[in-house]
Amino acid sequence: MQSFDWYTYGAIGLLALCTVLTRASYHLFGHRVPLGDGVRRALRYAPAAALTAIIVPVVLPWSAEGLGTVVDEKIFAALIAVWLFQRTRNNLVMIIGGMVAFWLIRALFR
Amino acid sequence: MSEPSNLSLQAEKKRAIREGLIAVRPALIATFTWGLVTGVAMVKSGLTESAAVAMTLLVYAGSAQLTSLPLIAGGAPLWLIFAAGCIVNLRFLIFSAALHPYFRSLPWFKRITYGYFTTDMSFVLFMPRFGEASERGTYFQRWFFLSTIILGWLTWQSSSLIGIALGALVPSEWGLDFAAVLALMAITIPLANSRPMLVSMLAAGLTAWVAQPLPLRLGLLVAVVVGILAGIWAEKSMKKERR
Repeated sequence: MQSFDWYTYGAIGLLALCTVLTRASYHLFGHRVPLGDGVRRALRYAPAAALTAIIVPVVLPWSAEGLGTVVDEKIFAALIAVWLFQRTRNNLVMIIGGMVAFWLIRALFR
Repeated sequence: MSEPSNLSLQAEKKRAIREGLIAVRPALIATFTWGLVTGVAMVKSGLTESAAVAMTLLVYAGSAQLTSLPLIAGGAPLWLIFAAGCIVNLRFLIFSAALHPYFRSLPWFKRITYGYFTTDMSFVLFMPRFGEASERGTYFQRWFFLSTIILGWLTWQSSSLIGIALGALVPSEWGLDFAAVLALMAITIPLANSRPMLVSMLAAGLTAWVAQPLPLRLGLLVAVVVGILAGIWAEKSMKKERR
């Protein structure tokens, strides 16, 4: 019998709390907390910055020795995916094309 | 607002639900695809199937879920996962601020429920239709909203569960966890729709790359702060240029 995975379910519980806090707190307390212009502006940049900051270390991780970066099929597949998105403006083409590029590069160079 | 008679209320309800269903239909293909990809990504990033089912049913926020996957896989501290999820979800704070007038008169538990089920899609369908409405919070508006969020929820959850089942069948050697990164990129790249936004994202990305050796994935928070500052700086310097 496997023991209960507190870490993963803790993360899930906290993320559920994130959903409620961000989506419902204004409905509950909105009349008391007006959103200022400066706050709104900061809020506009934060999500895109966070998403970018999650993606970059996955596609361009540092090598274990700490010197330089690991260049493998991920960064090339990611660049091809970006190029595909610029051409087609289609999410699905980007995901499937990026995945195919990932497999092709791995098959050719490994 | 004067209480409409029961009969006309029924007719209005039917009309609102019908209009909501017609409006939401084209968007459901996108919702279904995202749910499928997110379902596969959760399982392929190392969550057990039951954890993935719990995540989709409880969290119900695709971008926060996809963001958390590399953090959970890397064993980041829980408070950082919480912070990252909240930051990625910040747009909902702006959405709910805009939706607030339409639900203000309801009791608090109904307001929480409407809030919890608000998605990008429901917001995007609702605001252009009723943003300029002279009367806010009518029965018609709420029933319209309700029909879009119910259909959106059903579509997202069923496609997510199918994705979880599919993900469990596909061998890990296929590297489908990379599809999670591609899905995140598909959310992120369209956000670069102005020069300050692009500057902000480049600054955040560079910071995140440089800050990788920081413990506990703290580079993420540093990158967000740098990104916000860079965006505001770019906005201001562009305004000066124009003068």
